Amino acid sequence: MMTYIVFILSVIFVISFVGFSSKPSPIYGGLVLIVSGGVGCGIIMNFGGSFLGLMVFLIYLGGMLVVFGYTTAMATEQYPEVWVSNTTVMGVFLLGLLMEVMLVLYVLKSEEVGVVFKFSGVGDWAIYDTGDSGVFSEEIMGVAALYSYGAWVVIVTGWSLLVGVLVILEVTRGD
Amino acid sequence: MNPLIFTTILMTVLLGTMIVMMSSHWLMIWIGFEMNLLAIIPILMKKYNPRTMEASTKYFLTQATASMLLMMAIIINLMHSGQWTITKVFNPTASIIMTSALAMKLGLTPFHFWVPEVTQGISLTSGLILLTWQKLAPMSILYQISPSINLNILLTMAVLSILVGGWGGLNQTQLRKIMAYSSIAHMGWMTAVLVYNPTLTMLNMLIYIMMTLTMFMLFIHSSSTTTLSLSHTWNKTPLTTTLILITLLSMGGLPPLSGFMPKWMIIQELTKNSSIILPTLMAIMALLNLYFYMRLTYSTSLTMFPSTNNMKMKWQFETKRITLLPPLIVMSSLLLPLTPMLSILD
Repeated sequence: MMTYIVFILSVIFVISFVGFSSKPSPIYGGLVLIVSGGVGCGIIMNFGGSFLGLMVFLIYLGGMLVVFGYTTAMATEQYPEVWVSNTTVMGVFLLGLLMEVMLVLYVLKSEEVGVVFKFSGVGDWAIYDTGDSGVFSEEIMGVAALYSYGAWVVIVTGWSLLVGVLVILEVTRGD
Repeated sequence: MNPLIFTTILMTVLLGTMIVMMSSHWLMIWIGFEMNLLAIIPILMKKYNPRTMEASTKYFLTQATASMLLMMAIIINLMHSGQWTITKVFNPTASIIMTSALAMKLGLTPFHFWVPEVTQGISLTSGLILLTWQKLAPMSILYQISPSINLNILLTMAVLSILVGGWGGLNQTQLRKIMAYSSIAHMGWMTAVLVYNPTLTMLNMLIYIMMTLTMFMLFIHSSSTTTLSLSHTWNKTPLTTTLILITLLSMGGLPPLSGFMPKWMIIQELTKNSSIILPTLMAIMALLNLYFYMRLTYSTSLTMFPSTNNMKMKWQFETKRITLLPPLIVMSSLLLPLTPMLSILD
């Protein structure tokens, strides 16, 4: 099972995405988002990116999602919608679940799957240690490169976030 | 809106498009599209009534879906070519998905349904930005990936867009919806020649932007959003009736005016590539466009449209001063003799 851990984690990832995109109340969406964040962190860690995985936990789950949870708790309604309370929500969730299950069965059963790109069964999902990248780990070097060669990316993303805040304030301000 | 915030957000719209046009890394292009989308939402929602909010929501949903498709195409391209540089797209699947994503952003058929509804729900100035500036970024990406676009899909979308743009605009009296259907048809003309000669796409884009700018500014000048209120311009500023006539006929592609230049060049380029039926069909379907432009000119400039008697004695506060309107009018009607200068675009 450990060789296919990325596959299993990615299936849980997709199922939790289906869980919040079938639109229950935001509180439950946030709950499922925590699960998907944790599972995504696990996927990144399996590829050797321990730093980035911890970043996901700390910044994304521990910072942004906590703020989201508090604001949603302030703005929540008396009877929030669960997945089983509304027929539509449950229907969409079951549909997404069904599609994911069918895809998993398809990947597991057939020798080669050629939907958009070719899988060759579950074997493709196992991670092999493909040679030595040297003394350093790749992902820390990636973060370092972001702040040195990728200064323009930092400027653009920083500006996008600032403008995002301005836009959201402007949109919710009303008259 | 606070003027400082409004300026910042408007500059971010410009910055987003600039980033799309000048980046060589696919991820930066995607970031540019998202920045553009995010910053234009409050511009679309300048007035806070439910109609603008609904229009902004529709615009956001369709464009966000298109950005997601674009990201998927980028990742498939990465998987098959191993690099992030903007060149032609190496995998046919990625190319089809990317073409569909950019067609959704432009408003080509079959993804054209949002254009009339969004344009109708927002103010005239926001509609102007929506129909002119927002077309620049996706068109620049289409230009850059044009060697690898699947011809069948693009030509089907183009011809259907010209058809839908012509047919859909026939039953409209609201000016913003008419301009939206005109935009759909012009996008169809632009993408039809993209695979054959992308320079003509840029030429068509340039002249289309000039003509649409002129039309919107004339509408803003007379504060008219319906055919009925446009038909009262003879009372407000009689000169603009003539200008509306000339610009509308230029948009319809009539010969001595500059709107004829892109259509002529496109038909010539298509026939040089041995496709005869296609430009014939396109030219015939452009007649539908011409029909509803001429209906507008009929009610505005050529006749004094029937109205109640108190409409015939209008007064208004001082007229809005629209900068750049005279040069735009001149450029959108008199550029045809400059056609031989196109040889410098090679």
